[in-house]
Amino acid sequence: MTTLSGSLLLTFRELWAMRLTQAMLVIASLAWLLLSFALNMDVVEGSMAAVRIFGFDTTPTDGVFNEESGEWVSQALSLDKFLIGINTFVFGAAYFLGTLLGLFATMPLINGFLEHGRIDLLLSKPLSRARLLVGHLTGVWLTVLVLSAYLVGGVWLSLSLKTGIWMPQFLMAIPFITVMFGVMYSVILTISIISRSSGLGLVVTYGLIFLSIILASHDQIVPVLSEGNAAIFMTFYHVLPNFIEVVGVQAQLVEGQVVTTWYPFISSLLFGSVTYGIGFFWFSRRDF
Amino acid sequence: MHPDEGIYVASDISSPVIHISALHKTYATGIRRSKIHALKGVDMQVPAGEVLGILGPNGAGKTTLLKVLLGIVLPTSGEARLFGQPAGDPTARRRLGYLPENHRFPTYLTARQTLDIYGRLADLPDAARKERIPRLLEEVGLASWEDTRVGKFSKGMMQRLGLAQALLNQPEIVVLDEPTDGVDPVGRRDIRDRLRALKQTGTTIVINSHLLSEIELVCDRVLIMHKGRIIRSGTVDELAQQGTGWRIEVDRLPVSFDSTMWPVSLEESRRAILVEDGLPATLNRLIDQLRADGVQILGIERHRASLEAGFIDLITAQEDMP
Repeated sequence: MTTLSGSLLLTFRELWAMRLTQAMLVIASLAWLLLSFALNMDVVEGSMAAVRIFGFDTTPTDGVFNEESGEWVSQALSLDKFLIGINTFVFGAAYFLGTLLGLFATMPLINGFLEHGRIDLLLSKPLSRARLLVGHLTGVWLTVLVLSAYLVGGVWLSLSLKTGIWMPQFLMAIPFITVMFGVMYSVILTISIISRSSGLGLVVTYGLIFLSIILASHDQIVPVLSEGNAAIFMTFYHVLPNFIEVVGVQAQLVEGQVVTTWYPFISSLLFGSVTYGIGFFWFSRRDF
Repeated sequence: MHPDEGIYVASDISSPVIHISALHKTYATGIRRSKIHALKGVDMQVPAGEVLGILGPNGAGKTTLLKVLLGIVLPTSGEARLFGQPAGDPTARRRLGYLPENHRFPTYLTARQTLDIYGRLADLPDAARKERIPRLLEEVGLASWEDTRVGKFSKGMMQRLGLAQALLNQPEIVVLDEPTDGVDPVGRRDIRDRLRALKQTGTTIVINSHLLSEIELVCDRVLIMHKGRIIRSGTVDELAQQGTGWRIEVDRLPVSFDSTMWPVSLEESRRAILVEDGLPATLNRLIDQLRADGVQILGIERHRASLEAGFIDLITAQEDMP
């Protein structure tokens, strides 16, 4: 247990030493401080009558004239929709920006971990290679979990306290961000172990995220492809991580809808598991 | 030498803590996976308490040998055991300390934090870390730097910290790869003293160093490696003895003296002759010749070649072999 604590501590210290991790923490703090203190909402009968940021009105409360009924109808926003909107925005920002920046930030971490003179020393300690890698991964995952919990949890708590409406499904964003970061991290880590180039790992990982944008449009693209090309396209769709489509799963959860398909999430998880398996195998077999 | 394979076979030792047998390591590099044979059938045994030096030119396979021993590099074939257990077994490494060549500690950690983390990785409990870290920092001369970030350390200070790290778990075997690299003369002496003190406690030490004078001063036994093989093994005296001869100081040498007719070399001043074969008969014949030529002999002394000279001769001879 002491060896694992050493491995974890080393990863935490390394991540903390990176300015980007500290910057993410500051941005998360600013996000929920903004919502806590700068955002004022006038709630009338469950609807948003007005929203003010730093004291300035941001929504009209006069309403619009309905010609059929001949009455002025309030244009106040549904409180539920407002909360869903804010949370979706926070989730989206954390999911895309957080993952892209987070992966970029881990490049020096992996470089440091696999660097000659550092990895030799780590491997000479009385812990197996698998345990060493588990310690490293646990440190990275826990850091992402804490950062996303701090941001999403903080925003959720702040809004819930302000509105009195508690929607715990928003918190599902925390495991989604953490797990999908973990899936994409499997790529950068495994390629770095095999090629000893975290730069290459990062390029491939970003490439897969970009590819997932195209794969997410499979319903529109496949019908216009020939049979052979469609088969190749769908093979990619099933094999590679569906980073973009997972956003839809999360959106359905947040809006309280029934999730139509968990497939993008499950296939991404399988991809991550297989990639980690390859990474562990290479790490246990290669010379340093 | 092994008659067939040119492999040195060490003499039988009753209870070696390091046992290496018929060890081969082949690296495949580049896109074409071209093969580099780093180790070609190495056999070696190290008894408990011995201080062993490993010498060899660059690319001889020294670092690969140490890395196989530590499980950092996996052998292609053959066997490497520590305390009777396979070298890759983590439990065997529990009793081992290692200072790699060009080691890198995280630059944002202080000396104390570095030792704390590496102590944890060595499975040292809290109490042991608390007691040993300040003591070791004191011993390697870094006590006043304990809260300074490692990024500000000089190369020599990094080596000292690396040594402290290697000794944290009070290992029974210490493996040091270029321990005095970048260390100033005073620091080198301190490290030597530390190694001698370790030796007194019965710790087995394996040192890989380019500084032959360091090896000469510390080691009980020396292995010389060349092109993946151990080509010679013995005590420092045994290896240096191979270069033992005589030095004859003279007032002048006649122009007619032909040094190619004798197993000798002349110093540049032509005021001294080095007799290389060390045989008394050669010495006496040469003295007779010199006296016959009217040369005044000012002095004769036993000339003992340094380990460095012995090493260079051996490697040069190996290079010249077909």
